[in-house]
Amino acid sequence: MLNTVQAPQVEIPLGVRLRLGRAAVQAVADEAGADILHIKGDAVAPELRPVVRPGTDVDILARPSHVARLDAALRARGWTVYSTFTYGSPFGHAQTYTHEQWGYLDLHRFFPGIEADPAVAFETLWSGRIRHHIAGIDGAAPAVAAQAVILLLNDARSRRSADADALWQEVGDVRRSEIGSLVALLHAEVAFAAATGDLESQRSASSYALWKVITTGGSRAAEWRARVRAAPNLWQAARIVARAPAVNVEHLAHRLGRRPTRREIVMAFFARPVTAVVQFVAGLRERR
Amino acid sequence: MTRLRRAAGVAWVTADSAAYVARIPSGPIVVLTGPAAVIWDELTIDGDAATLTERVSERMSDVPPDADATVKHVVERLQAEGLLDRLGP
Repeated sequence: MLNTVQAPQVEIPLGVRLRLGRAAVQAVADEAGADILHIKGDAVAPELRPVVRPGTDVDILARPSHVARLDAALRARGWTVYSTFTYGSPFGHAQTYTHEQWGYLDLHRFFPGIEADPAVAFETLWSGRIRHHIAGIDGAAPAVAAQAVILLLNDARSRRSADADALWQEVGDVRRSEIGSLVALLHAEVAFAAATGDLESQRSASSYALWKVITTGGSRAAEWRARVRAAPNLWQAARIVARAPAVNVEHLAHRLGRRPTRREIVMAFFARPVTAVVQFVAGLRERR
Repeated sequence: MTRLRRAAGVAWVTADSAAYVARIPSGPIVVLTGPAAVIWDELTIDGDAATLTERVSERMSDVPPDADATVKHVVERLQAEGLLDRLGP
């Protein structure tokens, strides 16, 4: 007669788990006094994506100065770091966590393609935020136009899809104008041009080569050269070069399904330059 | 008048005739199905305890004679789990 069952005795649909996970993350952020914006997945406004796609994880963008306190609060509340900012992606923009109840969380400290200072960019998005009601809990999401910018920039990173084209074509003139203004405010012109198929208009930009590689493909060596060229200053460039030859230990661990041994890390370290050289030679051949 | 309301720090999602309710941020997720899911749904609309059995019964096809006892039992369990607060006597 009493039909109550405690998970995990029954299967929880992924979409349900992620929505509850968003609410849980919001609760942690509130406890920690951290400003966050819910992005992507089921946080996207129906105007932009009529059919909800929950995705596979929870994505949030945090105020950069609040990232450390949010990170500490998440760890204290049972989230475990799955991949770090350093090794999670070549952009270094997000850290991934897992939680036994809520699944995966991507904590973004900035969004790739937005070249404005991360703190300034967050404030721009935060000042236009809208209420986002999640599983009975109040949170915030970027304004609809800002959500469109994020979706388009995100899509540019995954080498453009029909979704991005459809989104850009179907938004009305007023919304398109809002999006254009926001792109300028966020200094996201290059990635936005990549997303909308107009990258060649940005040939003189320092980040042009990077987005060219991202959208059309290229060797890892070409990608790293482009990243160095796109770095905002020499110190940033030096850090990128210093990181390039290092072994991504987390990636190696996920590939092996266990923590790699020191020997495996060393072998992977020596394997990388060989791969890079092969790709570089291949790149030379392509240009002939 | 006794009123029942969702406890602070409780999130919930309804999907496919079930209610998934959790204390956040740590969980666990409690899955309510059948009459329990209807009871939760009714409580999110109106917390009046006096009319709860009647409202739930209207939404169920087979209402047993001990429906009121079932509703009380579910409500007590939800309170014990920290998911529901009782206001008033």
